[in-house]
Amino acid sequence: MNLNRTWLYSQFELTRLFATKRGWLAVTAFSLVWFMVLRYPIYNAVPFLNSSEFEGFVSQLAGTVGLYNLVSWPEAELAIFWVIALFTFPMFSVFVTADQTVEDRNRGTVRFLTLRSTRFELLLGRFFGQVLILAALIGLVCVATLAMMGMRELDLVSSGLPKTLAIWAKLLITCLPFIALMSLLNLVTNSARMSIVFAILFFTIIASVITYIGDVYPMFAFLNYVIPGHHIADVTGWQNNSNLSLLIPIIQAIALLGVSQFILRERDL
Amino acid sequence: MNTVIEVNALAKNFGSKRALSDVNFKIEQGNTVALVGPNGAGKTTLFSIICGYLKPNSGTVNILGHDPRSAPLFNKLSALPQDAQLDPKFSVEKQLRFFAQLQGMDKKTALADTQRVLELVDLSQVAQSKTSELSHGMRKRVCIAQALLGSPEIVLLDEATAGLDPKNAKAIRNLIASLKGQITFILSSHDLSELERLCDTVLYLEQGKLSSHQSDLHQTQQGSYITLQMLNLNDEMSQKIAQLKGVTNVKQTQSDELVIEYTEYSEPLDLSLLTLIHKNQWTYKQIVNGRTLENQLFVD
Repeated sequence: MNLNRTWLYSQFELTRLFATKRGWLAVTAFSLVWFMVLRYPIYNAVPFLNSSEFEGFVSQLAGTVGLYNLVSWPEAELAIFWVIALFTFPMFSVFVTADQTVEDRNRGTVRFLTLRSTRFELLLGRFFGQVLILAALIGLVCVATLAMMGMRELDLVSSGLPKTLAIWAKLLITCLPFIALMSLLNLVTNSARMSIVFAILFFTIIASVITYIGDVYPMFAFLNYVIPGHHIADVTGWQNNSNLSLLIPIIQAIALLGVSQFILRERDL
Repeated sequence: MNTVIEVNALAKNFGSKRALSDVNFKIEQGNTVALVGPNGAGKTTLFSIICGYLKPNSGTVNILGHDPRSAPLFNKLSALPQDAQLDPKFSVEKQLRFFAQLQGMDKKTALADTQRVLELVDLSQVAQSKTSELSHGMRKRVCIAQALLGSPEIVLLDEATAGLDPKNAKAIRNLIASLKGQITFILSSHDLSELERLCDTVLYLEQGKLSSHQSDLHQTQQGSYITLQMLNLNDEMSQKIAQLKGVTNVKQTQSDELVIEYTEYSEPLDLSLLTLIHKNQWTYKQIVNGRTLENQLFVD
């Protein structure tokens, strides 16, 4: 595998978002949506979370759902952002990364590319390109959240910075198997839209069946590890021992890319 | 001469349909090869296997000592795949420069090479245009340009001039002719006169089988055939031509065309033929030394 060619593919993906009008429109729309989320749900929830009046109730509620550590954060904006982002970014990444190779394959553009690089370099380069795009978008919202918190209380920025970095990294790692799943679905469907449909079917029907089988027959509970996002419940509460769970999405992403590579190697273009 | 492509016992099925069956041939360095055959004969399938887009069911393909898809071929084998298009969201220059960079060039060299190949196809003026803004013919020429990036040793062009206007088709033929010898070309086309002018070797595919492999297209025995196209051709003309000394056979291949077979005689047949035409005040359209590719493939 040639790393230079792989990196060239990743760079080209970045220009798709940041060097085209369509890309900038998408970034603008994304920013506006998150502006609304920060301005209303998060901004308005912070006083409630910090209020001494509701402290007992909030702690009790948070403790029930395993978020006790989070409500103790003085950086309340980051805590709320973390919970919202953890459940929205994975599905958002499914939509953003829905076209990695499928449209190029339909158009025949892949034929020009595979005369100049291996199929695996194309697959991996496009995957990392999407990871970089997600990293940029998540980073953008993280910085915005940090800025909003700094406007409320500037002293919290220094203690919030490491937490922001950790949130950025954990969110990105969480998104990895979702991006890799779209890499795979791009190879077995004929359009980006069909890839999204298949992803939705996977997360509704197949994931439900797997969860049901795991519940009824505990010996098959390990199958849950196949589902991207399975670790989310483990990391939501920011427990001290939860970082090990972040290995799950990394392994899932590697496995999905492995399957994708096998399919791409064998399939006709 | 070095063999650049060697295909042995190649077979490819699509479901129950056999697209290629026991195809064997060798292509020598510097050859310009015509891949001919009716629709559905397996030409594009053969192209696709050589380019590594399809895997054969059996048989082997060896290109410059490597299997298709091998990394050492990346800067040596290029192609114009049929119906493949560039990304309509990006400019021509950006995409070609990216291809050149994938081939190992740095940014500056890639840009210079992009400008070079666009000049070759007379499209420098559309470098900044998106492919969605170009006409079909222009898109085709851009795709031909990408095949010439770097210094490819083998170029496969599938229907390169299909859909081009006569002027641009001629320009592409001239371009190929100017690069003959330096590059081994494999061309597929339904325009036999085009292939005849450009190619020295013919592979004729029919129903997935290689039914003809001629590597001496322009080296037929000197003076054994003349193809004559006449205005108002009639039986009397044919009979008089058949009576010329040395003529062994006259066959009418089209309403206005005769293929004259002859043996060497003291007086050259072309001279006596022209004398006969002049004496009878006939009008000829064309005299070809030898047989046309069309006659070689479909009449004999």
